[in-house]
Amino acid sequence: MRRIILSLLVGILFLILQTTWLSSFPIQRIRPDLLLIFTLYLAFLFPPIFGGLLAFLMGYLMDLFSGNALGFYTFSRPLVFFVAQFFKERFYLEGFSFQFLFAFVFGMLEGILIFILMNALQPLSLGNFVPLFFTFLLPQSFFTGLATPLLFWFFQKGSLLLFRQPEKGIMEKV
Amino acid sequence: MRIRGFFLFRRYTLLIFIILLLLFALVLMSLRAKQRKGVEFFDALLMEICSPFQKASTLVIKTVQGTFQQYVFLVNLEKENRMLKQKIAELQEENHRMKEMKLANDRLRQLLQFREKNSPSMIGAEVIGQDPSSWFKSVTIDKGEKDGVKKRMAVISPTGVIGQILKTAPHYATVLLITDYNSAIDSLVERTRAKAIVEGKGENRCQLKYLLRAEEVAVGDIVVTSGLDGNFPKGLMVGEIKKVDKKGHGVFQYAELVPSVDMTQLEEVFVIMEPLPPAPLQEEKGKKGKKTKK
Repeated sequence: MRRIILSLLVGILFLILQTTWLSSFPIQRIRPDLLLIFTLYLAFLFPPIFGGLLAFLMGYLMDLFSGNALGFYTFSRPLVFFVAQFFKERFYLEGFSFQFLFAFVFGMLEGILIFILMNALQPLSLGNFVPLFFTFLLPQSFFTGLATPLLFWFFQKGSLLLFRQPEKGIMEKV
Repeated sequence: MRIRGFFLFRRYTLLIFIILLLLFALVLMSLRAKQRKGVEFFDALLMEICSPFQKASTLVIKTVQGTFQQYVFLVNLEKENRMLKQKIAELQEENHRMKEMKLANDRLRQLLQFREKNSPSMIGAEVIGQDPSSWFKSVTIDKGEKDGVKKRMAVISPTGVIGQILKTAPHYATVLLITDYNSAIDSLVERTRAKAIVEGKGENRCQLKYLLRAEEVAVGDIVVTSGLDGNFPKGLMVGEIKKVDKKGHGVFQYAELVPSVDMTQLEEVFVIMEPLPPAPLQEEKGKKGKKTKK
């Protein structure tokens, strides 16, 4: 229970940092998605049910403070969590390059999913996707990927300090 | 058979949970689309819990930024000059503080003049947070339902239109900026009176939609609100046209505009509590007044 509450508080802290500190950077495109990195880390830290619920809450909070009125992240974040859980046993995820690639790919995939959902509910021309891809999606995912190894290292140290078993995988019992 | 069914259920518990959770997210999406009260209450509750931290964080960031700007260049000073430099630093800090105060004073005076000139039914609010996602463009302000803020109310600044209220909590609200993809404002080109809809294009740009090809618009033309949507008073500046394209086929032409307000530098805004009387009406009243005097 302590683990869940602490993780929720860390999630809220990241949300606040994302809406205040990271937004004060002069170039807003250079803004790693801290909550996405945290959701990916949840996939390593939590079993599917608790982790899924936490990812759902992270997405809900993200939607709450966003101009997105419908709640795309409430849907996309648990999905990202479950897909990350599915792949975490199948890929080698130690080291900078693998962690970078892992977050970069998830950032891109989530972006494409959000674009599809946006397009389905408020049709935009496909011509809008190409500039969006290069000016926003690619740099955002890149910087999210760059920040991931550093944050994963901090999360690992933090969970080692706070909990005896820092990682409980998909195959382990709750 | 029952035991087998139970084992099958246990085997698929995780899969069922995943499907249920994702379905729940979709149901929430549909409830939000229909604007059901239950979801709104939960949204407001969570917003009330998180926003004070957001406000405190913004305050800390502003303070740290000020201090950082003040002291970062004074780190590598020579020892013999330390005292003198400290004195300079103190004076600089004081100067900086006074400059900040002067800037804030100018800004607030401008806001006050703007408010007095336009309407008493406006409320000033401070921006306490930006949108966590780069896909959407919104800001959180420190005024909510308790201050009389309601959904769809117009948000403006002395330099022009900012957006409209999207979500409300008792003490906080989210403003959808005009640069967001979901934003649309009825407007007209000031010079030609051509009607169009201003839609967000992300970043700091908007586009004019449904602008008839026959209308003569040019780069540099000012776009103002038409007052027809009922939220924004007529005649508020939206932005300046930066690009016109008539090359394509069809009834409409394409035009792009840059908002008159820099959305990345928002600090204080005004929420219009009730629709203002449109500007031409005021002019007409003035004319009538003159006529009667005669």
